[in-house]
Amino acid sequence: MKKLINNPDKYVDEVLEGMALTYPDIYAIGGATGRMLHRVTPAQDKVGVVSGGGFGHIPVFAGYIGEGFLDACAVGDVFASPDMNPMLESIKFADKGKGVLCIVANYGGDRMNFDMACEMAEMDDIEAIKVIVADDVASASKEEAKKRRGVAGFVYVSKIAGAAAAKGYTLSQVADVAQKASDNCRSIGVALSSCTVPQAGKPTFVIAEDEIEIGMGIHGEPGVGRSKIGTVDETVDKMLSHLLADRPAQAGDRMAILVNGLGGTPIEELYLILRRAKAQLEDVGVKLEHIRVGNYATSMEMAGASITLMQLDDELETLLTADAVCPFWEN
Amino acid sequence: MSFTTKSIQNTISEIQQVVDPIGAELNELDGRLGDGDLGVTMINGFNNMKSIIDDMPEDLGQALFSAAKAMTAVSGSSFGTLMATALMAAGKATKGREAAEWSEVPELLQLAQDAMISRGGASLGDKTLLDSLDAVIKATTGINDPEEMQKAASNAAKEALAEFINKPNKIGRARVYAEKSIGLEDPGMVAICRLVDAIPAK
Repeated sequence: MKKLINNPDKYVDEVLEGMALTYPDIYAIGGATGRMLHRVTPAQDKVGVVSGGGFGHIPVFAGYIGEGFLDACAVGDVFASPDMNPMLESIKFADKGKGVLCIVANYGGDRMNFDMACEMAEMDDIEAIKVIVADDVASASKEEAKKRRGVAGFVYVSKIAGAAAAKGYTLSQVADVAQKASDNCRSIGVALSSCTVPQAGKPTFVIAEDEIEIGMGIHGEPGVGRSKIGTVDETVDKMLSHLLADRPAQAGDRMAILVNGLGGTPIEELYLILRRAKAQLEDVGVKLEHIRVGNYATSMEMAGASITLMQLDDELETLLTADAVCPFWEN
Repeated sequence: MSFTTKSIQNTISEIQQVVDPIGAELNELDGRLGDGDLGVTMINGFNNMKSIIDDMPEDLGQALFSAAKAMTAVSGSSFGTLMATALMAAGKATKGREAAEWSEVPELLQLAQDAMISRGGASLGDKTLLDSLDAVIKATTGINDPEEMQKAASNAAKEALAEFINKPNKIGRARVYAEKSIGLEDPGMVAICRLVDAIPAK
């Protein structure tokens, strides 16, 4: 293991400290065990929006705290769900009497613990409900879409829910529009190299120097198959074919595209991905109305990228482009 | 005498005093089929619940919820999560009350059982703690005296353990070793036996 770290057991807490020191007006560390990150200035008079999940995906999850985004977030260990307690702390922090929406990426531990946190909140007369993000088309068939893993689509769902809450939507309205965003998202990734969890000390999986794996998950879960690496255009075409097979594009469809780096890929290569994807999508008549390229949902030092498409309507577009104050989202 | 926060405090205190040897036994059993952390979960869970009993509210539901919180704070293992789920299900049903009749306990266990099935995905017959709990519920329904209830529960848990020893595990990590699990006691079922025996019968 070759990393700029101290004690692996303190890795998460020390990174959180670094984030709070870098953005002292936005992030504050809270909770009994220091595993709740929250806004420095709590919002008032709106529906709360929170999330939580394993660490090692910065900016996902806690990085998306900010005005027009999340109010608070529970932080687990690297690639491991937080327990229920910081989730409950996040819900309580975010509750201003109008209820709280929990945006949960579709992993067993995250779901089960958020279920418990929502039940606990109910005992304190706080209404807390979940929206599940399950956008990774490679992780289950269309028939079993509910079993799909949540990946970079989380970023869009958080932005939409955060903007809706800031505009004064009620809890059920925020949940509905977040669900719509989630339903409209499709993602697929490609991995070129593995990553090492500090507490494990060894690479999570092994992949040959000349191989790529399409559809690999952000913790190294198996994808749809390995192949020899080709040109970036060929790889993008394969990724798009999976996305468009799952949800065929119609001429005139309006979409947002997120070309996301997994942590170990130069931004230059991400621009190459965007270049090809835009040409191919426009070729079938899709209008790309909102383009983002960068590291939005990572997997430690894994090399690779993902493409997320979100079908837009007027409401989603308004919320997606609404102002937000978050270090990882430029307006 | 009825079932109150005091009963919960006593139960946690008594079990905590004997949890170390129980935990050691469960770790060993679990190491043969699972990941060997069942005993650790029990020990850490009961130690942490013990540390908060003085702050437990009179409200039965809130007291059960505070126990669930203490359980989840030390363990992310599936057994810890299921224990917390059980405590919360019983807590929801008793929110706002300071006492329940002993005869209601089997109903509370049934609610706990239902919640664990729904959260954990196991079914009756899979050779898990649910099969022990099912036997306990059946044996204690209709009994009003806590001492008599504990005896019935203790016998039922032991009978369930014996009944399932020669069946295969059908869920969880042990399922991978389904054949190997035949003839072995399920660690979760043993846990129920030991817990029931450690409950003070007053």
